[in-house]
Amino acid sequence: MADDDILGADPAIRVSSGGPNRSGGRELLSAAHEAASETAVAEVGSTGVPALEPLVLATADGESAFFSRCPPERVGSIVETLEAGELPTEGVMAVVKHEPGTSRLPRPANGPLSVGTRTVLGTCGWAVPTSPEDYPADGFIASEIGDSNEAIAQVAEAKLRGRGRGDAAADVPIADRWELAREAAGEAAIVINANEADRRATTDRVLLESAPLAVLDGALAAGRALDATNILVYCNEADELAQERAAEAAAVLEDELEEGISIEVLAGPDEYKAGEATMAIEALEGNHRLEARLRPPYPSEEGLHGRPTLVHTPRTLVQVGEILADGDSSSSEGSSATGTRLFSVASEGDVSGDDETSAPTTVELAAEEDLATAREAIEFDGHLKAACVGGVFGGLTRTLDVPARANALRAAGLGTNGVIELFGEEECMVAFAGNRAVFGEEENCGRCVPCREGTQQLTNLLREVYHGEYESEGIRELLRVMDTTSICSFGRDASRPTRTAIEAFETEFRAHANGRCPAGVCK
Amino acid sequence: MSSKSNTSDPIWEHTEESEEQRSRLEEMIAPGTASDPNVESEENATVTIDGRSITLEAGATLLDGLEQMNTEGYVPALCSYDHEEKIGPRSECRTCMVETDEHGVVPSCSFPAEEGMTVHTDADAAAEARDVNLDLLLGNHNLRCTTCGKNGRCELQNVSIENGVEEPRYGVFDDREEYEPIDDSSAFIQIDRNKCILCNRCVEACNDVQVAGVLRMEGSGSDTRIGFQNTEETMMESTCVSCGHCVTVCPTGALVEQGLVDSSTIPLPGFTHKNSIGKIAGEDYTGQARTMTPMIQDQYTENEPVVEVVNRRAGTGTDTHQEADD
Repeated sequence: MADDDILGADPAIRVSSGGPNRSGGRELLSAAHEAASETAVAEVGSTGVPALEPLVLATADGESAFFSRCPPERVGSIVETLEAGELPTEGVMAVVKHEPGTSRLPRPANGPLSVGTRTVLGTCGWAVPTSPEDYPADGFIASEIGDSNEAIAQVAEAKLRGRGRGDAAADVPIADRWELAREAAGEAAIVINANEADRRATTDRVLLESAPLAVLDGALAAGRALDATNILVYCNEADELAQERAAEAAAVLEDELEEGISIEVLAGPDEYKAGEATMAIEALEGNHRLEARLRPPYPSEEGLHGRPTLVHTPRTLVQVGEILADGDSSSSEGSSATGTRLFSVASEGDVSGDDETSAPTTVELAAEEDLATAREAIEFDGHLKAACVGGVFGGLTRTLDVPARANALRAAGLGTNGVIELFGEEECMVAFAGNRAVFGEEENCGRCVPCREGTQQLTNLLREVYHGEYESEGIRELLRVMDTTSICSFGRDASRPTRTAIEAFETEFRAHANGRCPAGVCK
Repeated sequence: MSSKSNTSDPIWEHTEESEEQRSRLEEMIAPGTASDPNVESEENATVTIDGRSITLEAGATLLDGLEQMNTEGYVPALCSYDHEEKIGPRSECRTCMVETDEHGVVPSCSFPAEEGMTVHTDADAAAEARDVNLDLLLGNHNLRCTTCGKNGRCELQNVSIENGVEEPRYGVFDDREEYEPIDDSSAFIQIDRNKCILCNRCVEACNDVQVAGVLRMEGSGSDTRIGFQNTEETMMESTCVSCGHCVTVCPTGALVEQGLVDSSTIPLPGFTHKNSIGKIAGEDYTGQARTMTPMIQDQYTENEPVVEVVNRRAGTGTDTHQEADD
């Protein structure tokens, strides 16, 4: 059972955890409940920084003390001190003064929580995720949607682009797709695509776990604007907490808003391809095997069971919420891009995401900020040889001086799936390209030739490099064709790691063809 | 499943199916392929192809326009099939790519003809895409034409010759270790998956036209293959009724009538199609092939949805999907 609410409580103890850290968080939570008599105790979501979890936040009189990786035996004394009328500070990571009853996580001056901005992340790790009382005071945005024209016009004016590979409007203005959906015949459906199997990319999971009401509120607002009848939350089968929170949030919203829109939560396969927008629809329609659909027409015209369907990620939907709440879209002034972008940041070697130490850190960047800002959020010593931006099919770059905007990322040849991996000198760029090509070969749906056969031949051509043959032109030609002719983003994106590796590190490819690995990794 | 609206075939015109019949069949049939949107144009459209203007009726893709003229560049469009036959466009081979002023390089076989579009078949990017994709197909095709029953009447062979293929960029599939056994179990139809280009025509002929529900697409990545909906390994154990429609639509030597398997093989002792692969499955079936074995409802079909319902609120909206195990 989720705790009721926590925002106004004083004194208060919050236990913040998420994903793989949740069992540790639950342990602390029961210890806190046991120790507390006058103190309000609540479980909150992840702040997006798993390295700090489980995180205990002790709040009294407009001050909060942060205890990162708090051991269960410490909880008793923290509560005791708090109930004795003092803010506990022994072993504290940070103490932050703030407005009493603030609705947003107070931010320490140092450490990962101080990096970038925290707009859509604001309530993450602070508000009880599924508590309507803890939801921002202005109430649900969906209940304010009266005139659908106005809502669509606001989103159009803000030029909001879809966030992440799972969004059917990735990197393009979503209002165009909303217009298509509105003009198409049939009752509209909204798919919240949160199925991301790439463990490097955790931002959508963080949002669904820590701010599920904001995600669903954004979807409901879109649903109202389009007269939709159904919302489907499509999760990854491995993300149990996200499923649970989405289901609870759906129940809350249905009770609070008495919408004529039904909300279902479904769990799809933990496979990378299953996160592609049309394969998400195939899964939701109940197919036993997944492959990409042809386009155009796009799902916005003909999607789920032939109905006009918007497929948006949680990241996109919280931005929709921000725009509709702001009303006048003032955030976009003076900039061609609206809203912030979320990134999962990690250094190579710790992105498996299976335990608390390895999950990436979430950083939110404003459109004018450079990716370099995100580097400060994690410990990365030594020289940065390269960063892979965009996830498993991201692009390599030597510099992080790239603004956090879709167009700028694209122009730099990078991916937009919200991931930054940092590589040191010991990373071999040929091995990197090879591993990503093999992933593409093994994980593709098998439908179209440029992807199915292209990833296979790409792997072969990269193996040939180790046998002394580096055919630069042949590889580039193949990458071009994969990029221009694959049916879906899987095949197009699968060309990116090798293309950017060759662009930035061609000498390493030539060295390998001569039997030498400059990084000293390949035998 | 395609609609039967725009066909001149009298069988379809005069078939009155009740919704109930249709949905019962659709529940049973699980071809494993995606439900593509309708890619045909909604209204008449005048498009310019290689500088010449042509008006196409509603229901057209760009390829319909290309087929009516001599294009500057050769556009194989290998996997496409006459869409009045309710097969395709699958658009998997991507050898039909053309450049458009409006949308860049697009697959002509599955791109709706839009009013005012300008198409260039000889643009470098499109020509490169067609050449590379054809070579990618050949790279995974067992090119033993001299023992192939389709030698001389093979669509892949024809387009390769027409496209001037001499040495495919990525070689050909010639690793005997990697060959899949020939399925020789049926007395009527032989399957050689080493020659399959996964165009899906046979699956659509079997499911959408014959409504027999035998063949399906299965696996993913490089393991993608044509298989059987009852999950058996050989044609003989499948529910095939030997109607032969799959054979008539197969563009290569992957599905061949047993009587024609060696029809074009050079008459040398030991020089046979089976020897060319060297691995045979289903040889145990020496007797008469199973008689008509229509897909029957209690036959096991692997058709479990990949999604699970987490919550199911009694909302007031429209039901979006059928229950998994109702």
